[in-house]
Amino acid sequence: MKKKNSIMGMAFFGPALVLLTIFLFLPMLLTFGFSFTDYFALNPELTHFVGLENYINIFKDDLFVQSFINTVKFVIIIVPLQCGGALLLALAINKAAHCKKYFKVAFFVPVVMSLAVVSTLWMQIYSPEGILNTLLANFGIDAQPFIHSADQALPSIAIMSVWQGVGYQMIIFLGGLQNINPALYEAAEMDHASAWQKFKDITLPELKPLCIFVFITVTIGAFRMLVQPMVMTGGGPDHSTYTIVYDIYETGTVNWEMGLASTMAIVFTVFVVILTIIQNVLTKDKEGRKHVNKKAKAN
Amino acid sequence: MKKRLLCLVGIVFAAACFTGCQQKDPEPGDVAGYDEGEEYLSIWVHSIEDTEEGQAYKESVESFNEAYDGQYFADIEFVPRNDSGGGYSDKVNASVMAGGLPDVLTVDGPNISAYAANGIIQPLADLTEEEESEYLPSIIEQGTVNDDLYALGVMESSVGFYYNKDIIEEAGIEIPDADDPWTWSEFLNILEELKPLMDEKDGYPLDMTFPVGETSIYYFAPFVWSGGGELVSEDGLTVDGYFNSDQTAAAMEFFRTVVEEEYMSEAPIDHLFESGRAAFKFDGAWEVNTVYTSYPDINLGVAPYVVSDDWDGGTYTPTGSWAFAASSETEDIDAATELVKWMSGVDSGIRIWNMTKNFPSTYKAFENIDVFQTDENYKALYDQLSNYGHPRPKTPVYPQVSTSFQEVLESVALSGKDVHEELDKAVERIDSKLERYTRE
Repeated sequence: MKKKNSIMGMAFFGPALVLLTIFLFLPMLLTFGFSFTDYFALNPELTHFVGLENYINIFKDDLFVQSFINTVKFVIIIVPLQCGGALLLALAINKAAHCKKYFKVAFFVPVVMSLAVVSTLWMQIYSPEGILNTLLANFGIDAQPFIHSADQALPSIAIMSVWQGVGYQMIIFLGGLQNINPALYEAAEMDHASAWQKFKDITLPELKPLCIFVFITVTIGAFRMLVQPMVMTGGGPDHSTYTIVYDIYETGTVNWEMGLASTMAIVFTVFVVILTIIQNVLTKDKEGRKHVNKKAKAN
Repeated sequence: MKKRLLCLVGIVFAAACFTGCQQKDPEPGDVAGYDEGEEYLSIWVHSIEDTEEGQAYKESVESFNEAYDGQYFADIEFVPRNDSGGGYSDKVNASVMAGGLPDVLTVDGPNISAYAANGIIQPLADLTEEEESEYLPSIIEQGTVNDDLYALGVMESSVGFYYNKDIIEEAGIEIPDADDPWTWSEFLNILEELKPLMDEKDGYPLDMTFPVGETSIYYFAPFVWSGGGELVSEDGLTVDGYFNSDQTAAAMEFFRTVVEEEYMSEAPIDHLFESGRAAFKFDGAWEVNTVYTSYPDINLGVAPYVVSDDWDGGTYTPTGSWAFAASSETEDIDAATELVKWMSGVDSGIRIWNMTKNFPSTYKAFENIDVFQTDENYKALYDQLSNYGHPRPKTPVYPQVSTSFQEVLESVALSGKDVHEELDKAVERIDSKLERYTRE
C-alpha cells in the first residue's frame, strides 16, 4: 500500500519536477554560473571566466547603484500604502451594509487588468492636460508634470502601482476578517470595549499571520517593479524611475551582456532573500513576545 | 517494474522537451510547395502573420517561390516581437547559442554592425553595379560594414519636419527651398516670431519631445550631422572625440535653448500639432498618412529639416529600417543573396508601400507609386530621403549609443545639466561596452 502511494506520488510529482528542473532550477544554476563570466549573447563562443570582476564592476556602476536606490524607494512607498490600504479597504467593505459585492469587484478589477493597459491608462490620467491636472485646476492648483519630472515620477508610479495591486491583498484580508470568530467580538462588547480596542486587541492579532504574508509578498512584488516604469517613463526622467529589474533587462537583452546581467540578478536575489529572512525573523519575534506578555497578563 | 516505466516516461518527456528546440530542414514534400530538386531556404521576419506587414512578406516569399520554381523554395517563419524588438531578438540570441539560425533573417538597421561584428550574419554575394544602383544610397550605406554589403532593406524611413500651413501663413512666414533649409539661428528667430501667436492659441511653436527609446537619436542626431559632427568614428570603435565633440554639444545646447525659451512644452502634450496648437512638428513619415486620414482640417506641409549654422550641404536627414541579411549559418550564400534581393526588390517595395505605407527602398519603386509624384508632401519626403539621407551610427555597441544620446538630450535640454560633463560621462559608459571589441 505504501509503495503504491509513493509511485502514485511520483506520478503526480514527476512532470512538475521535470518542468521545474528545466525551466526554473537549471536556469537558476546557469545564471549563477554566467555571473562569473563575460557571456555575450551575440557571441557565446567567446565567453571567458572572469571571476568576481562582474561583482566588483556592478557596484562601481553608478546606474546600477541608482537603480538599486530607486527600487528601495519604490518599496518604501508601496509597502506601507498597499498593506495599510488593503487592510482599510477590507475593514470598510466588511462593515459596509450595502453593495458589498459592487465594492469588492470595483476594487478588484485593476488586479485582473494587464499592467501594460493600466500603465497606459494612467499615462493619460497623469498627462499635462489629463484628468488629474484638470481636477487640480478646479481647486486652483497649477498643473503638475507628474511622470514627466524627475521628482514626481517615482511617487506617481508608486501610487498607481498601489491602486493596481491593493485589491488582491484586500481580498486576502477580507477572507481573514470573515474567519474571525464573532464570539470574540460579542465577548468584547459585553466588556464595553470601544471600536478601537476591538480592532487593536481582536482584529489585528487574529489577522497577524495574514499580515506577515501580505507584507512579505508585497515587498517582493515591489522589488520586482518593471512594467510600470518601462511603459510610462522608460526609466526616466534622468533615470529617476529606473529599477533593478529594468537594468537587468536592458543589460541582458538590449545590450546583450548576459554575464553582467546574471551578476545583477544574483545580487538582487540574494538581497531580497536576506531581506525576507529579516522580515520573517522580526515579525516572528514580536509574536513570540506577545505570547509571553499574554501569559504574564493571564498569570 | 512500474517505477522503471515511470522513469522511462520521464526521460522520454525530457528528451522531447529538448529535441523540440532543435531545428532541422524539412524534406521535400513536408511543406506545401517544397518539391524534389529544390533548394530549401528558411527565412525569419520580425512580424506577425496577421499584420499587413506580415502579409506583405508572405506575398513576397510566395512570388519568390513562383519565380524560382524548381530551383529554390523559401519557407517563411513569423516571429512576433514587442515594441523594443524583444521577442524577435530573444529568438535570434537563443539560436546563436543553440544553433538553428535560418538562411535569411531580418535585422534592424542599427543592429547590422553588431550582428556582423559577432559573425551572426555574413556578407552577401557580390551584386552587380546595376543591381546596387537600384537602391537608395542610404540603404546601401546602412547595410555596409567595413566595405562589405551585409543587408538590403525593403523599407526605408524618413522623418519629416512638418508645419501647419495656416499658422505659417497667418504669421507671414516663408518656408525655404529644400536645398536651402533654415539654420538653427534662423529657426530660433522664427520660433521667437511665432511665440506670441501660439500663446494666443494656447499652444507652442514646436510640438517636440525627447522620448525614451530609439526615437530621440533617430529624429535628432541630424542636428549633430548637419554641423559636420559624427557620433562614432568610421570603424565604429571610437566614441571619444566624436560623441563628446563640440558639434554634439552645440546640438544639445540648441535643444536646451528651445526648452528654456518655452518654444516647446517640457512635458509632452498629446496631439498638440494635430489639434492646430503647434506650428511645427518632427515626426515619422507615417504622420502624413495620419494627418490625411484622421485630421483632415490640418493643412499640412513638409519643410526642409533644420540644419546647423555650419552646414556644408552634406547628408544629414534620418533614415533606416529593418533589412534582410544572410545568416552565417547558411550554406549557399548565392541562394540566400537571391532571396535577400527579391525580398528587398522593387515589387516587394511597392507591395510594402501599398500594404503598410512604409517607404520602399528602390528608385524604381518610388517611380512606380503615383503619390510620390503627385503629392507634394510625400514628394518632399522622398526628395529629402534620396538627396540628404544619412544612416544612423554604425557601431557594434549601437544600443548603448542610442540610449546614451537620449539620456544626454534629456538631462541637458530638460534638466539643464552641464553638456560637456554629461557627454563625457556617456563616452565613458559607451567605452566600457566597446572594450569587448577593442581589447584584442
